[in-house]
Amino acid sequence: MARDALVQESRELLAAMENALLEIEAEGVNAEAVNAIFRAAHTIKGSAGLFAFNLIVSFTHIVESVLDRVRNNELTVDDAMLSLLLNCGDYIGALVDAIEHKRENDEPNIARRTELENALNAYLEPPATTVTVTAAEAEESPVEVETGHRVGSDNWHLSLRFLPDVLRNGLDPIPFLHYLAALGRIVYLHTLTDAMPVAELMDAESCYLGFEIDFQTEADRKTIEGVFEFVRDDAHIRILPPHSKIDEYIGLINTMPDPGRLGEILVAGGALTQHELEQVLSEQQEKAIGQKPIGALLVEHQVVPEAVVTAALSRQKQHEDKKAHEQKFIKVEVSKLDALIDLVGELVIAGAAATVVAQRKKDSTFEEASQTISTLVEHIRDAALTLRMVPIGEVFQRFPRVVRDISRELGKEIELVVTGADTELDKSMVEKLSDPLMHIVRNAMDHGIEATDARVVAGKSPGGTLRLNAYHESGSVVIEVSDDGRGLNRERILSKAIERGLVSPDQILTESEIYRLIFEAGFSTAEQVTNLSGRGVGMDVVKKNIESLRGDVEILSVEGQGTTVRIRLPLTLAIIDGFQVMVSDAVFVIPLEMVIECVDLSSHEARHNIVKLRGEPLPFVRLRELFELPLLQHSERESLVVVQYGQQRAGLVVDRLLGEFQAVIKPLGELFQNTKTLSGSTILGDGRVALILDVAHLIQQASHLPTHLPASKTAGLLSNQK
Amino acid sequence: MPISEQTRDGHPLALLMGGFTIFEIAELKDALLHALHMAPDTLEIDLSGVEELDTSGVQVLLLLKQEAARLQKSVHYSRHSPAVLAVIDLLNLAGTLGDPVLMPNGS
Amino acid sequence: MGKTILIVDDSFSMRQTVGIALKSAGYDVVEASDGKDALSKLDGRKYNLIISDVNMPNMDGISFVKAAKLLPNYKFTPIIMLTTEGDETKKQEGKAAGVRAWVLKPFQPPVLLDAVAKLIMP
Repeated sequence: MARDALVQESRELLAAMENALLEIEAEGVNAEAVNAIFRAAHTIKGSAGLFAFNLIVSFTHIVESVLDRVRNNELTVDDAMLSLLLNCGDYIGALVDAIEHKRENDEPNIARRTELENALNAYLEPPATTVTVTAAEAEESPVEVETGHRVGSDNWHLSLRFLPDVLRNGLDPIPFLHYLAALGRIVYLHTLTDAMPVAELMDAESCYLGFEIDFQTEADRKTIEGVFEFVRDDAHIRILPPHSKIDEYIGLINTMPDPGRLGEILVAGGALTQHELEQVLSEQQEKAIGQKPIGALLVEHQVVPEAVVTAALSRQKQHEDKKAHEQKFIKVEVSKLDALIDLVGELVIAGAAATVVAQRKKDSTFEEASQTISTLVEHIRDAALTLRMVPIGEVFQRFPRVVRDISRELGKEIELVVTGADTELDKSMVEKLSDPLMHIVRNAMDHGIEATDARVVAGKSPGGTLRLNAYHESGSVVIEVSDDGRGLNRERILSKAIERGLVSPDQILTESEIYRLIFEAGFSTAEQVTNLSGRGVGMDVVKKNIESLRGDVEILSVEGQGTTVRIRLPLTLAIIDGFQVMVSDAVFVIPLEMVIECVDLSSHEARHNIVKLRGEPLPFVRLRELFELPLLQHSERESLVVVQYGQQRAGLVVDRLLGEFQAVIKPLGELFQNTKTLSGSTILGDGRVALILDVAHLIQQASHLPTHLPASKTAGLLSNQK
Repeated sequence: MPISEQTRDGHPLALLMGGFTIFEIAELKDALLHALHMAPDTLEIDLSGVEELDTSGVQVLLLLKQEAARLQKSVHYSRHSPAVLAVIDLLNLAGTLGDPVLMPNGS
Repeated sequence: MGKTILIVDDSFSMRQTVGIALKSAGYDVVEASDGKDALSKLDGRKYNLIISDVNMPNMDGISFVKAAKLLPNYKFTPIIMLTTEGDETKKQEGKAAGVRAWVLKPFQPPVLLDAVAKLIMP
């Protein structure tokens, strides 16, 4: 759990860091953005440190060191540094991914890391050496082999040297020691008087004392350090935890004018045994004869836990800062939300069942009561569904960086304009939208927007514009990716499609039908020829993804002026307001927001699946024929349900209209998986199953689009392709 | 902090009263050093009246011992008050400043 | 021997809360409502510790500390300053005036009692 929280927090921080970097790039350096970047790196390092995720700690440490210099105006942010920091953010992201997958000890890409570290260290002179120490901490064993043992004592050792002015500052060491004693047991205390001068030179108001203390306690380092909080500026304080390494005692002894003396004190207090002292002194000698100063390194090593403590503190503080926010937001596990929505779905069904019973009993008070309950259930449903709604900005926020990187890569000047980022849609859709949008954006930049000179020749502004827009429209969420590039070339698409065997040369297609061809599986495999999908990244995959969300993609394009890819998605995946119709003895549900009107078919002129409605021709489908249902004997008048999806309309011919109904969408079983005209099933109040119609597909079916050949034929085409 | 100087058992005795802290220490240091210099060989300092002892007081007690040794004289501390005992105990100075320290019963 | 603590704060409720906590821990307490009031109460009395707020009318905490440090009876008196998050510059100023102990407001009484216990013997 804690690991998940760390991963999530780090990702949020990385996103904030990236935004701040892009802000600097766009608007120049400002202190707040620099601070935001620094804080992000700092907090990630701090949190990762608490878990001893050392790969990320050591890397972010260097990043942080560079940022610190930026903050102190010792370094200026230029283009190269921005790119470097963005890349470092990506690498930290990779390290975070590794943590998520419990592979935090595997370096994602050592070559990349080295490259980035070298680039960072170039800004640091001298390079940030603490990293080595931290790395040593990560792999304790080799160090231990080299430095021998830890001391046997399980006491803390405190070494205090008070500065002369401490007493004048109103601080008396004695109460501090008294306070310390209350936290545990002072096993041994030695008062050092060596610094005391002769009487004439002694200033009675100055402090000359030092203390060596062996201390037994359950308290942690933070608590012990806290004792001396007020006196930190007026004393040298060194705290060695129990079982510290011999080297740390060497470091301690080295700071004393008379090492032998301190050694005796340490032995007297039990911090070291006589044997350990001898070892310390001999090792100390060896080291003095010019071996590498591991001792010194490891004494600095002692700084590491302190840093962790500081990190813990800053984390705690940050936590407090967040409190104000927490009153507005609670983090809830998605699975809990899903469970709630499932239950609300069941409640909707049970409510419908109760209503059916009430109607059958013809009990008006019962009916009224069940009506009230239904209304409330409806509210609960709406409220529950909004819990899953998140702003599409979560997806959009990736794109400033993407557009920046790709436009650099392509050498094009492209500005991104984002609107409607606060448009909300279902959380599960947000997650699945990211990849399709990335494809579309990438294609628009690759092939939609022309190179600078081509634009100038065409009389356009040298820089292209890419727009991301989102809005709500009649029960759907619409997301548009628009560019002001060269637009689609109808002839080329058509000839390509004919060449690929996707359409026959004698077929007459409307403009939008032609554009739609680029989503066909066979089409996207073309190489480098078309305007839009030269890289062969599957626009068919885009379409498939969107359709799996019960959505649809359409393309609008004006040659020479630009292209808009418009994605239309349902607001939610879980529950819809449905309109029930009956064909034979089967019940179907049509999403209510797509129903325009219902008319009596017999009163209109209908021929070859086209009905004339108020003078306009309207294609229609007979559901009985489509689903091969038997014609029942009681000859009823057929009704025509007019449905609309996007800009297209069609009629569905049914036997009976049953009325509105809240449908909890259940996935289709395996059997119906390939039936494109159905999008799901639902359970009716009386327990029967009804099928939910996929209106978008039905409309296309009604319009007889060649792109909607039966699945088997499409597959045949694909295999011919190869 | 008043010091009253008397003699006890034939040697000079300084009797400390009240606070033995940084507020009085400059004055006390001089007075006590003077008393030590004046003493023929031994100075006794009676601590029974000391209500408060801080680090600066401890330092002067230590300094007097050091100075006495230098002068080849001796300083004896006697009748330690509870405030003094508490500090001596905490700082583990009984060996140095103890002399005939009378540890309270049971401690 | 009882120790006496001077509390300087313009908030009555703060003085009261702190006062109760300190008295229950065995200290004697004298209250002052601002720096000026506190200075007048330094006359002739000796306190073992002063606890002062920073932002107060008439005379702020830092000015009070500076004035107190000039008086022979108070030049070494331990001082705890009660400060809020944003007082960083005040803190530097206080440090220059010899203040070492800071307690961040808002605090729970035990936090203040701990701070007191680090500075003076019971």
